[in-house]
Amino acid sequence: MEFYPKLKASIEEIFATMIFLDLTAAEPLAAGTEDLGCHVSAMIGLSGDFNALLGIHCPAKVGLAIGSAMLGMELEEIDDDTKDALGEISNMLAGGIKESFAGENVNLLLALPTTISGKSYKINTPSGSQRVIFPCEIEAGRFYIDFKYSPR
Amino acid sequence: MGKTVLIVDDSNTMRKIVSRALRQAGIDFSEILEASDGQEALDVLAKNKVDIVLSDINMPNMTGLEFLKAKAENAAIKDIPVVMISTETGADIIDQAKALGAKGAVKKPFTPDLINETLGPLL
Repeated sequence: MEFYPKLKASIEEIFATMIFLDLTAAEPLAAGTEDLGCHVSAMIGLSGDFNALLGIHCPAKVGLAIGSAMLGMELEEIDDDTKDALGEISNMLAGGIKESFAGENVNLLLALPTTISGKSYKINTPSGSQRVIFPCEIEAGRFYIDFKYSPR
Repeated sequence: MGKTVLIVDDSNTMRKIVSRALRQAGIDFSEILEASDGQEALDVLAKNKVDIVLSDINMPNMTGLEFLKAKAENAAIKDIPVVMISTETGADIIDQAKALGAKGAVKKPFTPDLINETLGPLL
């Protein structure tokens, strides 16, 4: 299954229509371990014809820039507003994936999004894993889209 | 005279975005009310005169579809038009929503123009 083009198209549409920040999505990361330096993550589960966990991982500065743009107000800390904004992006991104696959007769259901914050994360991408991680660049810095999937 | 709209979404961010989109769409709303789930929306409708409801589908406590069902069973509010605003806009879910009385659906992400096109004929 081709996940990256669907994820890329969906995140670009979200940023163009509802966040109004210029975004450039890069190619997926190669296998290996990378310290992403991220402090806040929004996640949402998908189930149905395959199971998946979609995550958006941001450094605090990037999360605040995205949340501020979405809400039209300056956010200064990773609070409930920032987490809610990132959770909604994960929700819309998962919705875009669901709709895209529905056109191929692949049916999915969405869970409710959840957001966590903490210290820095390391993302491990073993060779051959069923996982796609790709960076997205905005003016405030880089964040990551992480899609881990498994067949039923 | 401006209309009153009720926005139902469990996300505070999305309620603010929908409010902003309504203003940008140029629709004359005198009051914008908010609720964070279907049950809260029923409570708001019981206490206020509302001209149109914009509701999410996936919400905790009471979903958008459960809200539509409960609203349809209440004679005092059953005729208030509801438009779904959701990431869930597959034909199956929208058919269910329309069978329960929804007048239309807007997919997230959306533009103010799309909001205007969908709501305009209902006001």
